[in-house]
Amino acid sequence: MIKRLLAATIVATLCLMSGASATETINMWVRTGVGDSFKKVVEAYNASHENKVAATEVPFSELVQKYATAIAGGQAPDALSMDLIYTPAFAAAGQLEDLTDWAKQLPYFNSLSPSHVRLGTYQDRVYGLPLSVETSVFAWNKDLYKKAGLDPEKAPASWGEIEANAEKIRKIGDDTYGFYFSGGSCGGCMIFTFTPLVWGSGADILSADGKTATLDTPHMRKAVDAYRSMVKKDLVPASAASDNGVNFLSFTSGKIGQQSLGAFAIGTLVTEHPEINFGVTLIPGIDGGTSSFAGGDNFVVTKGTKKLDAVKEFLEFVYSMEGQKVMAQYGSLPTRGDIADKVLEGLDPRMQVGLQAIGVAKTPYTLQFNDLINSANGPWATFTNAAIYGDDVDAAFQNAQSEMQSIIDNAQ
Amino acid sequence: MIASRTRRARKAFRGQIAYHGAGIAIALFFLAPLFITFLASFRHGTQARQPAIPPWPTDGFSLDSYRSLDTFGAGVWQHTVNSLAVSLATVVLTVVVSLLAGYGFSRYRFPLKNVLFVLIIATLMIPFQSILTPLFIILAKLGLSNSLIGLTLVYVTLQLPFSVFMMRNAFDAVPKEIEEAARIDGARDLRLLVCVLLPLVLPGVATVAIFAFLNAWNEFLAALVLLSSNEKYTLPVLMMAVRAGRLGAINWGAVQAGVAVMTIPCLIVFLLLQRYYMRGLMAGAVK
Amino acid sequence: MTGSGQKQPLSSRRRRENTQWRGLLYIAPAMLLVIVFFVVPVIFTGWMSLHNWPLMGTSRWIGISNYTRMFNDVRFMSALRFTAYYTVIVTIAIFAVAFPLAIFVEKQRRFVGAYRTVIFLPVVIGLATASLLWVWLANVDSGFIGPALKALGLVERSPNLLASFDSAFLTIIIMVVWKIAGFTMIILLTGLQAIPAELTEAARIDGAGRWQRFRHLTLPLMRRTIALALIISVTGSILAFDQFYIMTSGGPQNRMISVVYYIFNQSFVSFNLGYGAALSIALLVILVLISIVQLRLLRIGEERP
Repeated sequence: MIKRLLAATIVATLCLMSGASATETINMWVRTGVGDSFKKVVEAYNASHENKVAATEVPFSELVQKYATAIAGGQAPDALSMDLIYTPAFAAAGQLEDLTDWAKQLPYFNSLSPSHVRLGTYQDRVYGLPLSVETSVFAWNKDLYKKAGLDPEKAPASWGEIEANAEKIRKIGDDTYGFYFSGGSCGGCMIFTFTPLVWGSGADILSADGKTATLDTPHMRKAVDAYRSMVKKDLVPASAASDNGVNFLSFTSGKIGQQSLGAFAIGTLVTEHPEINFGVTLIPGIDGGTSSFAGGDNFVVTKGTKKLDAVKEFLEFVYSMEGQKVMAQYGSLPTRGDIADKVLEGLDPRMQVGLQAIGVAKTPYTLQFNDLINSANGPWATFTNAAIYGDDVDAAFQNAQSEMQSIIDNAQ
Repeated sequence: MIASRTRRARKAFRGQIAYHGAGIAIALFFLAPLFITFLASFRHGTQARQPAIPPWPTDGFSLDSYRSLDTFGAGVWQHTVNSLAVSLATVVLTVVVSLLAGYGFSRYRFPLKNVLFVLIIATLMIPFQSILTPLFIILAKLGLSNSLIGLTLVYVTLQLPFSVFMMRNAFDAVPKEIEEAARIDGARDLRLLVCVLLPLVLPGVATVAIFAFLNAWNEFLAALVLLSSNEKYTLPVLMMAVRAGRLGAINWGAVQAGVAVMTIPCLIVFLLLQRYYMRGLMAGAVK
Repeated sequence: MTGSGQKQPLSSRRRRENTQWRGLLYIAPAMLLVIVFFVVPVIFTGWMSLHNWPLMGTSRWIGISNYTRMFNDVRFMSALRFTAYYTVIVTIAIFAVAFPLAIFVEKQRRFVGAYRTVIFLPVVIGLATASLLWVWLANVDSGFIGPALKALGLVERSPNLLASFDSAFLTIIIMVVWKIAGFTMIILLTGLQAIPAELTEAARIDGAGRWQRFRHLTLPLMRRTIALALIISVTGSILAFDQFYIMTSGGPQNRMISVVYYIFNQSFVSFNLGYGAALSIALLVILVLISIVQLRLLRIGEERP
């Protein structure tokens, strides 16, 4: 241990010495649980540039709290990979660096992922730029399809079909299940994978201006019924009922027949679980159509950082062909539409589905995203568990609808 | 006569059996969770997703779980060193501060003495979670945010109500005559405290030290909020990252290994010092 | 001593004057820490509670609005109810286990020290660690309890203990009892051992049965110890947070939100720091009131011999 300590001291001294030269070290935070793409692009950047990025992984459930507290204490990192849905709230609070002028002169500014830029824009100024893009897609396990006597190449196109397939897959064995979702109050997982069911059919959970909660629609009722039915028929593992998101990728166990997941999962599956033979398609709407959730992270810069130039250099690297390739390899979709096809060239063809999804994808724009949707104790998270697992569906709808509305009203 | 004696002996024997039978059952309940986890942490990485039936490694002893634990954060060694540093610093500071304060409260009369004592004890009444934000801001003003020193100071403060209470009671239990005698022998102030009284309150000191160690070692929320860079995280923060899973799947093997790493120092400290610890605790409870 | 008899009053008076200052000096480090890291933050919290204080951006004075909001806050009320429910149940459970255990390990016989040690072991590990351990044990697929029940043939398939309120609550109660009972046991043990053996012996000679002795002799004499154990248990339970945060993240359908959890959510998830501060002050008031009641209990104990 003393050796370790000594080693640590030496490293610390070296760091101090190298700090004296012209290179800068950008402190960045990134949330855990979104795949390796960010880590890998940082490695690539550090290997080829004088400036360095020091990335700190923060548990995803605590990242926003920690960042906000750090700002209050004047200890914030220079930049942050922030779930894009939080950008409006932080921009509105005046904590982020205005990147408008620099961003607009980027030759490819107009081809950057539009929903990211939209969420990164507050009162016509740009505060966040896309770092990683991901969309929700529907995946099925081809091997299990084969075993269940289904056509492994045929993607299911409706929830009726998904349920029928799930039943057949369930019959394969005691520990094989037809479907999976993180149903234990994981608001983030469910907005990502479950709302596309109603979006695809034209409904939404919030009104267009974000001022009215519109949860209780016939489409949502039907979507809930579809999930309830699968749970009731025992097609979903019991663990789903209390999974608050930590086992979001249960599909990787190879025992799950079908699951809606994120494009980053394609990267994870390809690189970490090559043994799983799977197909992906767009998530079917409950009444036809398809949809997806466009998520991912925005790159934001803490207001007043002294390392702005280095930060810009890093971001330009991310947007370069090389950077985009590295990120795509680990499951982040290209953020630049103009070179997307080239970036994905030679990579797993299933990534294309993720790219396609961008075309039909939605992202809610609300300053209260955390309180309404993402918080494990917010109305949306509670609703998904209560409506799908609870005994009283009507009450679940009623409670969630009124609580969402009151959160919106209180914030006005 | 002989018959009745053997009958009584048999009855006593049966009582013994019943007693120790119950004792073993109770001991099992309290030991089993820890034991199962330790055993399970040595299973193969591939078994981490399987139910822990049986909990011991069935296809060979393996350190996979510990290896995967090591891939979180800045490596388990770094975080263990951080945790040890914070815990030991907390122990030293808590002992020094509470020894002085306990002595002051026990032996001296000064204005507002009772008010100040109650103020220290009142720290127990406030969930420190609710004053975390002001704490954070104050630490930042002192230039101590994101530093293990700042975290240590907060931990020491959290330990004070219990420790000062313990130490005051410990000093109260020391007869005043001993002190008078030492004074006549010329021992004064700090020398008196360290050379004469310290040995007499050692069980109390041990209790305070052990509690400080355990609480600092185990605390996670303040560490999570007050530390902001990877290499400074303490073990419990690392465990939160493990619990949050990676790539959408929680690695139960790493959780077991983490629980083992978190638990073993506590158990060692306790088992080594338990005599002092229990004595101190009981002395504190009686007062 | 006799030689300095005449001088003594003077020197002792001077010493007392000195000691007053010295005493303050001795407690100064402790006071400094408590003031900087406790009193100031608490006052700051009180100040914040009178503001609309977002984590970022500017705060705005709103007087007592946060407090009026509190009384109409359904979720805060249900957090209070849940915390009260939890406190009562867990305290009863801890005592129901710890008291028999204390009696069990009271007498000196062979192995009794070992039993004490083993029962006390879980006390020394952290609550967060214990929660983590049990969340694994209770896991439906990869855990131990469910699969073990299944292996024993008691259930057809491994139950997801954390999915429904009742079983999740029961799991948490068992975890907390496992973790805390040893501590309460030791405190109660000190009370038991402080009862003079002659008293029990005399009662036995007088023909008092085991239960009668317990009811009329042991319990009254242990009043103070019980009160102490009660205070520790109640205060700890009211401030419960880790187990709900780590094991159920607020429980099936939000039904396990304790008061501290709610304050944590308001402050660090919704960033209503002002409102969170008001709730903290409310919690502080509740705790102080409860402590006063309990201290009364203690004092009643003191009056008895």
